[in-house]
Amino acid sequence: MAFDAKNWLAMRQQNEAKLGAAGVYHPSQEHDACGVGLVAAVDGKPRRSVVEAAIEALKSVWHRGAVDADGMTGDGAGLHIAIPRDFFIEHIARTGHDDDGGRLAVGMIFLPRLDLGAQEECRCIIEREILAMGHAIYGWRQVPVNVKALGDKANATRPEIEQVMFSMPADMAEQEAERQLFIIRRRIEQAVEAALITDFYICSLSTRSLIYKGMFLAEQVTEFYPDLLDARFVSDFAVYHQRYSTNTFPTWRLAQPFRVLAHNGEINTIRGNMNWMSCHEDRMASPLFGEAIEDIKPVIAKGSSDSAALDSVFELLAHAGRDLPMVKTMMIPQAIDADSASPLAKLYGYCNAVMEPWDGPAAIAAFAGNWVLGGTDRNGLRPLRYTLTTDGLLIAGSETGMVVVPETRIAENGRLGPGEIIAVDLTAGKLLRDDELKAEMSGRADWDKWLRRSRQLDSLLAGANGSKKALIDPEMRRRRQLLAGWSMEDMELILQPMAETGKEAVGSMGDDAPLAVLSGHYRGLHHFFRQNFSQVTNPPIDSLRERHVMTLRTRLGNLGNILDQSPEQCDHLLLNSPVLANAEWEALLADLGDKAVQIDCSFGADSGDDGLRQALQRIRAEAEQAVRGGVEHIMLSDAAVSESRVPIPMILATGAVHSHLVRQQLRTFASINVATADCLDVHHFAVLIGVGGTTINAYGAEWAIQERMEKGLLPGLTLDESFANYRKAIEDGLLKIMSKMGISVIASYRGGYNFEALGLSRALVADYFPPMSSRISGLGLNGIQMRILAKHREAFSGNVTYLPVGGLFRYRKSGEQHAFDGQIIHAMQHACDTGSYDSWKKYTQLVARQGPVNLRDLMDFNSHREALPVEQVESITQIRKRLVSPGISLGALSPEAHETLSIAMNRIGAKSDSGEGGEDPARFKLRENGDNPSSAIKQVASGRFGVTAEYLNHCSELEIKVAQGAKPGEGGQLPGIKVNSLIAKLRHSTEGVTLISPPPHHDIYSIEDLAQLIYDLKQINPDAKVCVKLVASTGIGTIAAGVAKAKADTILISGHGGGTGASPQSSIKHAGMPWEMGLSEVHQVLSMNGLRDKVVLRTDGGLKTGRDIVMAAILGADEFGIGTSSLIAMGCIMVRQCHSNTCPVGVCTQRDDLREKFTGTPEKVVQLFTHLAEEVREILAGLGFGSLSEVIGRTYLLSQVSRGDAALDDLDLNPLLVVADVTGEQRGGPPADAPRVAVPDTLDAQMVRDAAGALEHGGKMQLSYNIENTQRAIGTRLSSHIVRRFGMTGLKQGQISVRLRGSAGQSLGAFAVQGLRLDVIGDANDYVGKGLSGGMITVRPSAASNFVAEQNTIIGNTVLYGATGGLLLAAGQAGERLAVRNSGAIAVVEGCGSNGCEYMTGGEVVILGKTGSNFGAGMTGGKAFVYDPEGVFPDHVNPATLHLSRMQPGSWADHLRGLLELHAKETDSAQAKRLLNQWRTEQGHFWFVIPLEVMDKLDPAVDAESVLTASA
Amino acid sequence: MASKMLQFVSEAKAMPDKRKAATRKADFDEIYADFSAQSAETQAARCSQCGVPFCQVNCPLHNNIPDWLMLTAEDRLQEAYEVASATNNFPEICGRICPQDRLCEGNCVIEKGFESVTIGAVEKYITETAFDKGWVKPVAPSVELEQSVGIIGAGPAGLAAADQLRRKGYQVVIYDRYDRVGGLLIYGIPGFKLEKDIVQRRADLLAAGGVEFQLNCEIGKDISFAELRARHAAVLIATGVYKARDIQLPGSGLDGVVPALDYLTASNRKSLGDKVADFDSGTLNAEGRDVVVIGGGDTAMDCVRTAVRQKAKSVTCLYRRDRANMPGSQREVENAEEEGVQFEWLSAPRAFDGDGRVESVIAQSIHLGQPDETGRQVPQIIDGSDRRLPADLVIKALGFDAEDLPALFGEKDLTVTRWGTVQIDWQSMMTSMDGVFAAGDIVRGASLVVWGVRDGRDAAVAIDSFIQAEARGENRAAS
Repeated sequence: MAFDAKNWLAMRQQNEAKLGAAGVYHPSQEHDACGVGLVAAVDGKPRRSVVEAAIEALKSVWHRGAVDADGMTGDGAGLHIAIPRDFFIEHIARTGHDDDGGRLAVGMIFLPRLDLGAQEECRCIIEREILAMGHAIYGWRQVPVNVKALGDKANATRPEIEQVMFSMPADMAEQEAERQLFIIRRRIEQAVEAALITDFYICSLSTRSLIYKGMFLAEQVTEFYPDLLDARFVSDFAVYHQRYSTNTFPTWRLAQPFRVLAHNGEINTIRGNMNWMSCHEDRMASPLFGEAIEDIKPVIAKGSSDSAALDSVFELLAHAGRDLPMVKTMMIPQAIDADSASPLAKLYGYCNAVMEPWDGPAAIAAFAGNWVLGGTDRNGLRPLRYTLTTDGLLIAGSETGMVVVPETRIAENGRLGPGEIIAVDLTAGKLLRDDELKAEMSGRADWDKWLRRSRQLDSLLAGANGSKKALIDPEMRRRRQLLAGWSMEDMELILQPMAETGKEAVGSMGDDAPLAVLSGHYRGLHHFFRQNFSQVTNPPIDSLRERHVMTLRTRLGNLGNILDQSPEQCDHLLLNSPVLANAEWEALLADLGDKAVQIDCSFGADSGDDGLRQALQRIRAEAEQAVRGGVEHIMLSDAAVSESRVPIPMILATGAVHSHLVRQQLRTFASINVATADCLDVHHFAVLIGVGGTTINAYGAEWAIQERMEKGLLPGLTLDESFANYRKAIEDGLLKIMSKMGISVIASYRGGYNFEALGLSRALVADYFPPMSSRISGLGLNGIQMRILAKHREAFSGNVTYLPVGGLFRYRKSGEQHAFDGQIIHAMQHACDTGSYDSWKKYTQLVARQGPVNLRDLMDFNSHREALPVEQVESITQIRKRLVSPGISLGALSPEAHETLSIAMNRIGAKSDSGEGGEDPARFKLRENGDNPSSAIKQVASGRFGVTAEYLNHCSELEIKVAQGAKPGEGGQLPGIKVNSLIAKLRHSTEGVTLISPPPHHDIYSIEDLAQLIYDLKQINPDAKVCVKLVASTGIGTIAAGVAKAKADTILISGHGGGTGASPQSSIKHAGMPWEMGLSEVHQVLSMNGLRDKVVLRTDGGLKTGRDIVMAAILGADEFGIGTSSLIAMGCIMVRQCHSNTCPVGVCTQRDDLREKFTGTPEKVVQLFTHLAEEVREILAGLGFGSLSEVIGRTYLLSQVSRGDAALDDLDLNPLLVVADVTGEQRGGPPADAPRVAVPDTLDAQMVRDAAGALEHGGKMQLSYNIENTQRAIGTRLSSHIVRRFGMTGLKQGQISVRLRGSAGQSLGAFAVQGLRLDVIGDANDYVGKGLSGGMITVRPSAASNFVAEQNTIIGNTVLYGATGGLLLAAGQAGERLAVRNSGAIAVVEGCGSNGCEYMTGGEVVILGKTGSNFGAGMTGGKAFVYDPEGVFPDHVNPATLHLSRMQPGSWADHLRGLLELHAKETDSAQAKRLLNQWRTEQGHFWFVIPLEVMDKLDPAVDAESVLTASA
Repeated sequence: MASKMLQFVSEAKAMPDKRKAATRKADFDEIYADFSAQSAETQAARCSQCGVPFCQVNCPLHNNIPDWLMLTAEDRLQEAYEVASATNNFPEICGRICPQDRLCEGNCVIEKGFESVTIGAVEKYITETAFDKGWVKPVAPSVELEQSVGIIGAGPAGLAAADQLRRKGYQVVIYDRYDRVGGLLIYGIPGFKLEKDIVQRRADLLAAGGVEFQLNCEIGKDISFAELRARHAAVLIATGVYKARDIQLPGSGLDGVVPALDYLTASNRKSLGDKVADFDSGTLNAEGRDVVVIGGGDTAMDCVRTAVRQKAKSVTCLYRRDRANMPGSQREVENAEEEGVQFEWLSAPRAFDGDGRVESVIAQSIHLGQPDETGRQVPQIIDGSDRRLPADLVIKALGFDAEDLPALFGEKDLTVTRWGTVQIDWQSMMTSMDGVFAAGDIVRGASLVVWGVRDGRDAAVAIDSFIQAEARGENRAAS
């Protein structure tokens, strides 16, 4: 069928508007990532080879981009190069103009193509603004393009692409000219916007450089723009970019490079940064801009992507007098210990004082002010490899090998570490490396002296003599606690562990209490804020293991002019944390004197219906007046609360003041400090800071700690110590909450509204918490006032009593209801034990009689069809196949329970999910009775526990768990008490040692990484489909679209209520959204993008009746996960002590005596799923439909039947029910028997053919190939063949040996098994030996190369991630996170980046060179040997779990020597040979690194033979 | 302090010391010793702190059991007492006499594999400690209300309601036809389960808190019901059920065939030092006799064990179902067996034989047939299975029915059910008469003390909202 561009475009726009209005979709939710790079002539002399290299590189990163279904529409690509003056002058001459000898300026413009009137108007505006500045216009050039290189959709949205050429004075300095053009461009943009013209965009407007970009595939760049083939296109630099977007709507303007930079990654702090940037505009001034400064505001255009916003600020700063390296240093700083005395720390101290960092995965390539620069983020989350050639080219990019450079021409192969820069000063013709650049910048001013203008709070406290405010009387204390809605549970379960141990409480089994908006009980306002978290498009940070990149340092004081560079910018009060103790608050007040104003945040109990609103107006007015009067610190407090004064919820007060000051352009002039009695837990702190609070004094919590001291509940601790514990728990919790969003620095989190309101009135949010999203409206000011007044009456009437017992976390009769209460559990178990469907109906009636817990409880079915006889509905068997028992690990579950689930699901042809913990290979064989105990779905999570090639080949589906409902943004945890010998064996870890999975997958920091992992998995298992598990959140629709484009077969949307073995209570309660919201958003956005029929949608998180299943289907799901209910069917009674290993019914425990109590059987589980299916049939029959697939996505079958509590403004579920219009009938995913989404073949297709004989009979085989970086996962498919034919150990090591020459693509040798040996001569990219399962890999430079191997980078980041066995020898350095989560492989490399051996639980790593920082964080098993003649290594170690000693002669030294000999022999390593030659002196230069946990388990008599034989 | 809960995996269940049968048979004192502080803490720490505490779910009062167990384990007894007493007016009584094995302990999550937490014993320990330490104080309402409430019956339901209403400041008068406060607590339940000073202590506390008692006062005789209504803003009927169920068999009229409550009351009065003619005459004294008790409920258990203490020659319990299907507490059966009681399961009396005074019971064997619609198996007599049991005292413990209250009170308008219990609207707990409420056994039929307390508390809430609405004039507007 011919593509109907007009129709498609119209429908698309209509859908965007429709879904946008319902809050389901917003363009700002789009994410992108990609491949990025630069080429530069170090001498600054333009040459054609620079342009050609960049074009070549673009053609070698196609796999990092994505393609639309038409196979042609790319997500965008482009090139930023110098203006070839000759080329344009010739053109100008041809149009009849003379070269006036001026500065030639060229603008690359996207004009509206179809609206000719608008097109002409744009041209007029452009010309007008250029002429207004007094410049002479040569004319316009229509850029030749070849539309055959475009896909249909890209063509449909294609702009008219033209270049405007004009002349500027020749004597004008280049910087000055560029600055003027920047102003002209902003004026043009604003004029066009004022004319209400949309499809207009200026790619570049410059006398220096030019940007060609568009929505074609990267390899089509010269096809589409034949200009680029012209030999006159020469340049001294080129910045290039290939984009991968979650969107499928080709948006030309979002193609990169932008005016200054091209960005690979995602800015996690974007919301905070954009908010603060608009605040900074208040004070922005520069003599360089003068009056024109107003013309460039707003700096960040509306609707900018994160990369575009980053670019805008980069550009601003670069034009305002800072050079490009300084701009990068300021905006994307390196993580550095602020207390260090180093000059670098002072430089960064200054940078941090000027503006908040832009934080998140970032590899950038940038050009401005005649500097070319490559840089990375503080965590090094995106790779940037570079090659310096002997003829003076710097080639840097996301991968090595993108530009093929003959080995003899390579002078240096390197990589950028976290926060590093490499740059070329084109004016000076000089290459500058990170240390040179930073040393120079550190010396530009006496930063140290500047910084000494700021003061530390500690000094202030000392001055205050540690005075403690008189403590409150117990009666008032109790009344305030009652008023805050605290319960005994809050005190015992939440506060006590914080004050006693400095840790947050851990819970299990998820959240089955009602959403705050549906609750009949009083819930503090913070309960209406759901924490945002990262998934797929950006990674969470690891606040436990990578703490060093994070900081809570808080500056108090007004913020200066960001364009300035002066000592006054450092006039701040510095706090190490935003959490203030009572004494600190008092000291602060005393110190600030009249620079601070105290504002009372309470209102009169008798002030009428409008009391709260008036009070908020009052505090806003007071704050504004104070700031206008020169006050720099606003101190909000609810201390005046009494019998007649009611507190304003402090979140509301803080948001009111913050949003008001932002609107009044006053926010940067003052800090907002909050003292409140109702803030207790981490989440509450996070909300207060997230809505704009600078510091928080939770005086009520401190009182409560004091109360517990008085009761003797904190024995051995002083009040200060207890509070210090509490503070530590809060601080760690804040770091954790920030880290979920991938935010490292609290300044960038503050005021970032990294929440979604759930059930707060939209009007309220718009007024007090803009621009937070609130899709489901609800509680407004009136409701809040009613509730707080009622609470106030309760607290201040009658005798002071004890606190209520609570019931939010654990069921109590007087507390919150829980979806699984005693009666319901028993009723369901009875129905599953007896098989009686009548009993099941009794159970579902009990469920139906509960008050509303979930959003779906406010809806009911609504069909206009005649009911069908049940016999006409599809069978139980067919329905059961859509049901899944979701991932619960063996480790959390007892082996009995885990197997029972698998057996039951296999019996009914449905799927069970292994969870993250491996599976005993014994289960891959059928039982004697024919039962199959192997899970049909094998999970791959961030810990990669037990993920071997064998495991991955015994399933029909592989699930990548990106996030988990109970704790999105965090890794799993298995308490040490549950790690017995079996669990330790399956997970390749140490018995008794707590296992924590990293928050991110270290091979998924970005969407193209996910595509790579999916690719890898589809290689290692050629049949299995791949599922990606996400957690519901706002914006998940666009993420899911990206995941679908990454070729996932199934997307699982988990709700916040999902169960868990162990998770911090604040995460269980406050992170993630209901699946109803996530699912409908994903379904609609996929439909809009034409992707819905490509993927199966699955949902889980509290589904427990047939009604839930049909509702989920109507909201868009094809398949349904039933987790908690399946545990209950096996005997779980919601004791919620999974983390304690004391499950009294043997479900969630590893204790032998408790496992004996297990009474679950496959029959009971089968019965559960049968009941569910039967009920689904009944409901379908009632609705008049014959199958589940007929109701998928038909939201008209649902209607809202309840609007919740009368106190709510308007609880409207329409956003759940909105439908995108789609063509065609199919609304659901592909049928279950459809083939999986195909991925391209890799070199292995050839290798498998060439090795056919050996794969058949097992003979010895030697293969040889030349390779390029586009050939990824080499050896993986071959390993699948080996493991399926011969098992994990069936072949001898190296029996099939493959010699590879060139640059290997990502995931070289992923999951390679014993028997396969890969020898690379050249280098390799990221993820070498990912999941290595016994195979052997060597990488070494060619013998012809001229550089010193050990000083060069030869393999990329995240090498040996999750490896369980095998050997890697690399004659060169590795990148970041070498051997992260390695649990059995042995490696020898010659240096590594930061975070080496992180989370390692087994195996051995030898490093013959420098290591980066944070080595061995969380390493609890295995060993490392690190060569360090200078003795600096201990500074790079994260010592928490490790023991270091210098190597002593003896058996371990001999063992090490054996490994070196092997390395020397196999890779010809010069470094290894040298060390061996001088072994007697050099052996003592090695550090022997072992985890404290295994010290006593170390066998001193090491059998080096085992290693050597493995490589024979 | 780090939580030391969940110790069930390592600590075994241990009840407080129970006196040896031989010694405890010699008196009417309670048979369990008190926990030591150490063992109370250890036993409380066995609690699993469940996400869904089935102990609480199955407690009629929904006591926050896991919470006060945790507080006890952490030696925070004053708080434990606050929590325990917040949901229960008489925790020390429930701790002693509740059939925990059918309620909290029987539903304890660890019961199946590890034996339950000793909830009742800990509850008793907490409250006795509170009394010892002086934490238990008479009610002192922060406001005194002018409205008064009249309560008929000084049993568990009436006392609980009185306590709750006093806390809110109402003036409360309790009327009871007996001479002591406590109802069944004082005269029905034997001292070896509940020593009488425990009940008296509560009566004294209530009186000290301002509850007025009018004893020896029979409604419809000493004062009319109408007058009561006129006197009070609301009236609560909490009389309990006292009419003994009877069986009509050959020989029922013989001397020595007595109803259980008469027998138990006599024994209790005797223990309290009263002069009891029927006991002294030997009519209600089991000493030296062959005693047969008919029935399988808790009252039957009280009778057999009282008879043992009265030095009966032999004590036999006759019950028509088997051990597993008896309504009484298994723990009580064990105690009785230890004390030497013989159980004749699956047996029913066919006739009493004797000459003027009963001499033997003719018993028949029973077979349990198909379950009826309630799910219980129907007892069927096995023909020709007669056997003769020597008996010179037969105690009928077959349960209780409601007395004819409309007749006793002279109030036809008081609607009762076909079982004679007072009919109420369970939402408002009001009877057919405006401002007249009812609670306890007189509503639900013979039941447990703990249900009486629950009903009394619920009634107090209902009465409060009724009176407050009345004060605002809402009730009239609505009607």
